[in-house]
Amino acid sequence: MSDVMKTVLQVLSAAAALTSVFLGAWLGRKWAPPGSRYNARPVLLGMTAAALGLLALGNYLGLVWTPPEREMGDVYRIIYVHVPAMWMAMLALTVNFACCVGYLLQSSWKTDALAESTAEVGLLFGGYGLVLGAIWGKPTWGTYWDWDPRLTAMAIMLVTYVAYMALRRFVEDPEKRAVWSSVVGIISFVNLPIVWFSVKWWRSLHQVQSTPKTVDPDMTLALRVNAWATLILLTLFLLHRYRIALATREAEVALPEALPTDVPGPRDNHASEVA
Amino acid sequence: MSTALHTYTLLAQVGSGRIQGGWEYIWTAFLIAWASLSLYSLSLWLRRPGKAVNDSKE
Repeated sequence: MSDVMKTVLQVLSAAAALTSVFLGAWLGRKWAPPGSRYNARPVLLGMTAAALGLLALGNYLGLVWTPPEREMGDVYRIIYVHVPAMWMAMLALTVNFACCVGYLLQSSWKTDALAESTAEVGLLFGGYGLVLGAIWGKPTWGTYWDWDPRLTAMAIMLVTYVAYMALRRFVEDPEKRAVWSSVVGIISFVNLPIVWFSVKWWRSLHQVQSTPKTVDPDMTLALRVNAWATLILLTLFLLHRYRIALATREAEVALPEALPTDVPGPRDNHASEVA
Repeated sequence: MSTALHTYTLLAQVGSGRIQGGWEYIWTAFLIAWASLSLYSLSLWLRRPGKAVNDSKE
């Protein structure tokens, strides 16, 4: 594959992903709120086709086109699903942190719904990313699991987000649930920088982050295409999950006019709306 | 440079890696990734707003 073709692929996949993120944010306002009659089907089908097309291309590049790695041979190819999954988990949980802080500063059911969505989708990517990492560990480290700083920090972080989701299930009052889960979300996020920097701070069994300077350019291309494809999937998942969360919140609050409370105001107002 | 020549040149430089084989781990990892994404998509579809109303009409 020529260098021009590689550049074209990188630019096209990045453009498709960033456009999808923009469209996802737009549909979040136009289509996701309950009662919306906006016809999002063409845009959603386009985003899904872009995600699946890029994922198929990325998987082909990763499984067939890229060369074996000097030390790990073919086993390193797990990088093409493991690393994008972990990046998306961290991205989703960072948005969750922003939503939790945002809700405490200015309460809004939409912010709470987005926080719920990002936590669930972040858990999905983090959960299967961790399993893929364990599978990678067996042929390279000789064991599926080791209490290495990176693995341990990641496992602890996922457990805290499981607790976050459990808290949301068990608290029935939407107002209390939103406040309490925001606090738990902020505390859970403390682990994320530890996960990211653990491979630099401690002598970790886990390798340091791969960068374009440390891996073959062909591997960089395959990794980027897979990552952009996964970003479109993340956007689609968040959009659909956000729509579900908004509908659930509307049903809970019962008063339809109580839902779109994004007008700036003190949180005390919500108590009467929820009741 | 053709794709085949490019691959052979790289293989000549790095060999096929110190760890040999392991494709069963690779396929397992990719299958788990695809299955996770597919099952979560299905769960979103089953939870979509308005489904209960539509089901009750059937």
